Amino acid sequence: MSTVEIQQQRALELPATLGGGPGWLHRIRQSSLAVYNSTPLPRRGLHLWRYTDPSGFVVDDVDPAEIVFGSDQAAIDDEMVGQIAAGHLDGAVVDLGGRRICHHTSQRLAAMGGVVAPLSAALKSHEDLVKKHLYGLVHEQIGVFEALNGALWENGVFVYIPSDTIVDKPIHLRREAGAGRSRQFFRLLVIAGENSDVSIIDEYNGGPDDISKSGYSNSGVEIFAGHGSKIRYVPIGRQASGMTSYLTHRARLGRDAVMQTIPLAFGAALSKQNFGVLLSGPGARSEIYGLVFGSGRQRFDNHTLHHHISGQTGSNIDFKVVLRDRTESAYTGLIRIEQGAPGCEAYQENRNLLLNPGAKVETIPELEILNEDVMCTHGATVGSFDEEMVFYLTSRGLTYSDAVRTIVSGFVASTLKMVPENLHERIGAFVEKRLEGI
Amino acid sequence: MAESIDKQKRDLAALGTDYETKYGFRDPVDYFHKGARGLSHEVVEMISRMKKEPLWMTERRHEALDIFYSKPMPKWGNTGLLGEIDFDNIYYFMKPVEHQGKSWDDVPDYIKKTFDRLGIPEAEKTFLGGVSAQYESEVVYHSLREDLSKQGIIFLDMDAALREHEDLVKKFFGTVVPSADNKFAALNTAAWSGGSFIYVPPGVDVKVPLQAYFRINAENMGQFERTLIIADKGSRVHYIEGCTAPVYSTDSLHAAVVELIALEGSYVRYTTIQNWARNIYNLVTKRSTAHKNATVEWVDGNLGSRLTMKYPCIQLVGEGARGEILSVAFAGQDQHQDAGAKVIHAAPNTSSRITSKSISKDNGRASYRGLAKVHKNAVNVKISVECDALLIGKDARSDTYPTMEIDNEQVRVEHEARVSKVAEEQLFYLTSRGLSQDEARLLIVNGFMEPFTKELPLEYAVELNRLIQLEMEGSIG
Repeated sequence: MSTVEIQQQRALELPATLGGGPGWLHRIRQSSLAVYNSTPLPRRGLHLWRYTDPSGFVVDDVDPAEIVFGSDQAAIDDEMVGQIAAGHLDGAVVDLGGRRICHHTSQRLAAMGGVVAPLSAALKSHEDLVKKHLYGLVHEQIGVFEALNGALWENGVFVYIPSDTIVDKPIHLRREAGAGRSRQFFRLLVIAGENSDVSIIDEYNGGPDDISKSGYSNSGVEIFAGHGSKIRYVPIGRQASGMTSYLTHRARLGRDAVMQTIPLAFGAALSKQNFGVLLSGPGARSEIYGLVFGSGRQRFDNHTLHHHISGQTGSNIDFKVVLRDRTESAYTGLIRIEQGAPGCEAYQENRNLLLNPGAKVETIPELEILNEDVMCTHGATVGSFDEEMVFYLTSRGLTYSDAVRTIVSGFVASTLKMVPENLHERIGAFVEKRLEGI
Repeated sequence: MAESIDKQKRDLAALGTDYETKYGFRDPVDYFHKGARGLSHEVVEMISRMKKEPLWMTERRHEALDIFYSKPMPKWGNTGLLGEIDFDNIYYFMKPVEHQGKSWDDVPDYIKKTFDRLGIPEAEKTFLGGVSAQYESEVVYHSLREDLSKQGIIFLDMDAALREHEDLVKKFFGTVVPSADNKFAALNTAAWSGGSFIYVPPGVDVKVPLQAYFRINAENMGQFERTLIIADKGSRVHYIEGCTAPVYSTDSLHAAVVELIALEGSYVRYTTIQNWARNIYNLVTKRSTAHKNATVEWVDGNLGSRLTMKYPCIQLVGEGARGEILSVAFAGQDQHQDAGAKVIHAAPNTSSRITSKSISKDNGRASYRGLAKVHKNAVNVKISVECDALLIGKDARSDTYPTMEIDNEQVRVEHEARVSKVAEEQLFYLTSRGLSQDEARLLIVNGFMEPFTKELPLEYAVELNRLIQLEMEGSIG
C-alpha cells in the first residue's frame, strides 16, 4: 500500500442534471465540489485513514449514463408494498442508485403526518425544514468524501416524523447499486420531532460481482433526534463483491433523546463506514451495536464517534467483528467528552473473532476525556475461538464445523437480537451464508 | 494507621519546604568546556574530536545529523508544544571536568555538593552495586564494586565504553534504535554524550541493582545520553536510572536513546523514575530486543517536564520471549505526559503485559499511546494491556490511543482502559474515619499507584511516594 500522498488536482464539474432545486442548494453543491476538487486527500497515519488508502474512494469523472440494475426492481418494489400491506412496515423506499426513488407510506403513518419521500420532493413540500437541517451534520468540513457526496447526491430520501408520533413498524430503505460500472451518491435526511419513536432500516444492496467493474457508492446520512425521541437506525451493508462503499453517518441527539445505531456489515470488497453520534442535550443516550462479518478477501474499515457535548449523557458501544478467509478489518472508535460536559458515562467494547489464519485485525479504541467528572471504560479483544469450547461441543456429538458455527452464532447473537423483529429471519440468513463451508 | 498518616503529614510538610533546595536548586558551575549554541557538523566534529572517538563513530554522528535535518517534526502528538522547541538555542555539549573521577575524593567540590544533596554516596554505601552519576554531559563519577567487575561485568559510561570496549559498542550500537528511526533518535545519535553501558557475561546473575543518577543542571542544556545494555545468554541484571532536574526559566531538551538487548534466556529489568523540571522537553526513544526465552521488563515512572513523549518498546524476536511494561505518569499543571508502551511480537509463543497508570491533575494532560503488534508467523501469542486513568480537577484531561495490529488468528489480545475521578464514596468513607479531604485523596492516589510502586526498590518507592505527595499538595478536586 502506497503511503505517498496523492495531491493531484481534481477537476470534477457539476453535471447539468443537478442544476434543479433551489438556489441555496445549488450554491452548497458548488462550494462542496470546490472543496472536493481543491482539498488534498487525508494524510495517512491519522487514525481515520491509517489502515485504508483514501485514493480508493476518489472519483475523477461522473458517468451520466443510465445505471443498469441487476435485481428485479419491480419485484423489490412489490415486496415492499406487500410488507406494508401485511403490517410489517410503516414506510418503504426503493432507492435506485440515488436517482429514482419509489416510496410508500402506510395509511397509519400518513394519517399521523409522517413523511417518507424523495428529498427532491421534500425540497418543495418542506423547504424550510430541509434547508434548516440538510448539511447540518454531514458537510464539506467533515471530510473530502463528504464534500463529494454533498455536491453530487442526486435524489435522496427524506423521513419526517412529527412530534409525539410513535411509529409502530420500521421504515425500510432499500438502496440499490448498478450491476455494471456505476457510481451512486446516496443521501438520507431524518428529522424526528420531540418524543417521537421510529426505527429505520437502511439496507444497501446490488453492485457488480466483479471488482474490475468498479462499482462505487458514497452515502451521507443525517439524523436529527428531537428532545425525548427514540430512534433506532439499522444500516445493513450487503453490496456485491465488486463494490467500493463509503458511508458517513451523523446523528444529533437532543435532551433525553435515546438512539440505537446497529450497523451490520456483510458486503462490498471495500467498505469504509463512519458512524458518529453527537450527544448535545442532557439525558441523551446513544448505543451502537455493530457487527462485521466478512469472508473471502473483503476489507472493512469502521469508525465510531461518541461525542459528549452535553453533560449528563451516556453512551455504549459493542462492536463485534468476525473474520474468515483472508478478510481484514480495521476499527477505530473515539469517545470524546468535552470540558463542559460533566457527569457522563461512556463505554466501548470491540471484540474480534478470527476464524482462520490469514485474517487480519486492526483496532484502535480511543478516549479523549477533558473533564474529571466521568466514568469511562473501553476494552478490546482479538483472538480465535476457544478450542476447549469446541472440544466440549464435539464431545456432545456435534461435528467440528457445527461446533464452530454454534460458537460464532453465540458470539453474534446479542447483536442480532437488537435489530427489529421483521429482520431477524433475513439477517439470520446472511449470517448462515457467511458460515457456509466452515 | 493514624501514626503513619501523621508521619506522612510531616513528610509532606517537610517536602514542601525543601523542594527548591533538594530538587530544584542550581549550583553555579564553571564549565570546563561550553560549546556554542545550536547543532552543526562543526559541533558534531568537535564533540567527537574532544572525545577522541574512532572514525566510525564520527561518521555515524555526521550521518545521523543529516538524517536529523532531513526528517520533519512529528505530525502527531502535541504538535503545538513540539513546535516550540528551538533547536538552535540549545547547548549540545558541555564537559564539566577534564578527567573522570576515579573515586569520590577526586570529584570536584561543586559537583559533590550536588550529589550529596541527592544522597548518592549514601545509596552506594548501602546496597547499590555501582554508581554512575551524570552531571551535564559526561559521567563524572563511576564505581563498581570489585566483586562485580571480577565476574566480568562491564558497567561504564558510554564514552569510556567506546574507548575501552570498542568492539562490543560497535557491534551493538544503533542496532535496536537506528539513527533513522525518528527525528530525536537521529539528534541523539549525532550529539550523544554520556549514558551507561552495561555488559553482563553469559550466565552471570547481577545480584544487586546497577544504578545511574542523571541530572541536567545548566540552562538551555540539551542532554543526549545514550545507554546500551547487553545481557548475554542466561544472565540477569536490573538497571535503575533516576532523573531529577532543577527548575529553570527557559526550555531545555532531553532526548535520550536507550537500547537494551536481552540475549537467549536472559533477564533484564530497567527501572526509571524521572522527575523533570516543568520546562523540560523529554523526548526519549527506549527500545529492547528480547531473544529466545529472554525476559525484558520496563518499569517507567514519569513525573514533571513540560512535555514527555516516551513509549518503551519490546521487540519479542525469539520464541518464548516475555515482556512486561509497567508505567505510571503524573501530569500536573501545564504538563503533558504523552507516554505509552509498545510490544511487537515477531516470534511464536511469546507473551507480554502492559500496565499503564496515569493521573491528570489541574489542567494536566496524560495520554496513553500504545502499540500491540503481532506478526503473521507469531502464533500462540498472548498480550494483555491495561490502562487506568485518574482525573483530579475539572480541567484535567486524559487520552487513550491504543493501537492493535493483529496479523494472525492464534492469538489472545486483550485491552482494557478505565478513566474516572476519585470516587466520592471512597472519599466519604475515608473522611468519615477522620481524614481530611487532602489526606483521603492522597491515600486513594497512593492506592491507585500501588501496583507500580510495589515493583520499585525501596528507596525509589519512598521517593516516588514523596514526589506524588508533593504534587498532590493542596489539591482540591
